[in-house]
Amino acid sequence: MALKHLSELKELLVDKPTRRMVLAAAQDQNSLTSTLMAARDGFIEPILVGDKEAIQVIASENNLDLKGVRVIHEPDTDMSVEIAVKMVRSNQADILMKGKVGTSSLLKAVLNKEWGLRSGALLSHFAIFEVEAYHKLIAVTDVAMNIAPNLADKIAIVNNSVACLNKLGVDLPKVAVLGAVEMVSENMQATLDAALLSKMNQRDQIRHCIIDGPLAFDNAISIESAKHKGIKSGVAGDTDLLLMPDIEVGNVLYKSMVFFAHAGVAAVILGATAPIVLTSRSDSDQAKYYSILLAAAISRPQ
Amino acid sequence: MITSLGMMADTVRSSGRRHRIAVAWAQDPNTIGSLARAVGEGFAEALMIGQREQIVKTSREKGINPGLFTIIESAGDREAAEMAVSMTRSGEADIAMKGLVGTDKFLKAVMDKERGLLPPNAVMSYVCAVEIPHYHKLLFITDTAVIPFPDLGQKVAMAEYAISMAAKFGIEKPRVALIGASEKVSSHFPNTLDYEEMCRLAGQGHFSSCIMDGPVDLFLACDPESVRIKGVDTPLAGDADILLFPSLEACNPFYKSLMLFGGGELAGMIRGTTKPVVLMSRSESELSKYYCVALACLMASQLN
Repeated sequence: MALKHLSELKELLVDKPTRRMVLAAAQDQNSLTSTLMAARDGFIEPILVGDKEAIQVIASENNLDLKGVRVIHEPDTDMSVEIAVKMVRSNQADILMKGKVGTSSLLKAVLNKEWGLRSGALLSHFAIFEVEAYHKLIAVTDVAMNIAPNLADKIAIVNNSVACLNKLGVDLPKVAVLGAVEMVSENMQATLDAALLSKMNQRDQIRHCIIDGPLAFDNAISIESAKHKGIKSGVAGDTDLLLMPDIEVGNVLYKSMVFFAHAGVAAVILGATAPIVLTSRSDSDQAKYYSILLAAAISRPQ
Repeated sequence: MITSLGMMADTVRSSGRRHRIAVAWAQDPNTIGSLARAVGEGFAEALMIGQREQIVKTSREKGINPGLFTIIESAGDREAAEMAVSMTRSGEADIAMKGLVGTDKFLKAVMDKERGLLPPNAVMSYVCAVEIPHYHKLLFITDTAVIPFPDLGQKVAMAEYAISMAAKFGIEKPRVALIGASEKVSSHFPNTLDYEEMCRLAGQGHFSSCIMDGPVDLFLACDPESVRIKGVDTPLAGDADILLFPSLEACNPFYKSLMLFGGGELAGMIRGTTKPVVLMSRSESELSKYYCVALACLMASQLN
């Protein structure tokens, strides 16, 4: 990845049309704060859908300025989600963000066949980390959405992520398919999938990236480790995207990076017709802020 | 209580005991360096099995006096592995250690029914003690290396191995976190069903003294602040000593991320064997190997 710091996302947004982001069930301190911060800094134009009174209370309690911000009053949570989704669908907004609503309710609306945001692609979670000890930002997928992706799912996840990385200026991302070992083992499905993904990439069935795997974490990240093991790879040591075997692996790695490596992170949901920002309470304010910037950077102005 | 790897090495050094370590195919620089240090500090005696000429040459290149070692000539890596294991089994050595030989060959010798170090039906697993700058104490994690997808019985054994290792560090009632993607038990995550059963067994006193809970995610296990924010009632309280992972696939990148991105350092060893077995990746640093040797010595003094 050309980028080393998450703050460089700002540079990608300079001189670009401001993206409109709609916050569903906006009466939520966590997401409202970061939304208004990103708006204050000029990176998005926010639209708040939710309980107007509750939104105003949260804003004043947290010294947030709502002046000039469009608020659509809808106290019912499900209705506010529906309104927000429909705004994205009808090109009145470029990005959807989750407020005070359960993830499953939001996704149900996103996947609604009549008025949702289906694009035909699989929805997948995409995170990028800023780690001091790595020479560039590193993307990781899927740590939160798909529980146990099969080969077809993994292809879809790679395609979502590669398209996203392309938009971030990484023309030919290096994709490491993570395994516990770097040898293909018939006892570990993840290593078989990794080998298949690599071959499909060689044959141009998966394009716009270089895929290699299975690679153990150290070989994906460190060229010294890879050399030590005698691994010849066009990806090892210079990975842009790490593909996780399943959510249990991804979840642990995500949290390890944040908690033990003090990594900065930004994350979005890909695969819908527009990027979706879906943060949780345990995310830092900075993570939420950069997630919004990431969504803005990859969203196509309508 | 031992709270760092340095302190662990101090404890071993000051025990006044010397452990004999049989090293299989002992030619690589990191292995030679780590053992020279352990021998020099007086807590190990190194039986280096391999190509004498190569061991002497590599030692000299590192400025190490090969006279520190007892060198035993061996024709090949497989033979060296078998010799290290059989010497340990017969009591000529206290600890078996893998040098430059491949893991598969080495473990085959360890697991050999007649001449190996694994009792019948024993579960062989791997436990690491990890020191991380951003955690307030050592973390014991399992399984970083051996069992790809542990079943319930293997998970039970893994937990017990980690608990008994923690005990050697003076942790009398370790907090054992059974790691999942969330705190919810769900049939979508078969591991969480095992965890539920393990917690039931723990309630019945099936395990050595410990506080066990799971599934929990890494935050609930290690971060009191997350426990507070999420409002989850867990006796682990973000203060876990032991992390048991659902799979090798999850544990392996976890510990590697700690090493590469979190500034971590580790010591690990095989568990389930009759004598301590040191096995680590050829690419591990000299310091890691030294800590592994010290850990095996710590465990050996108690196993006997």
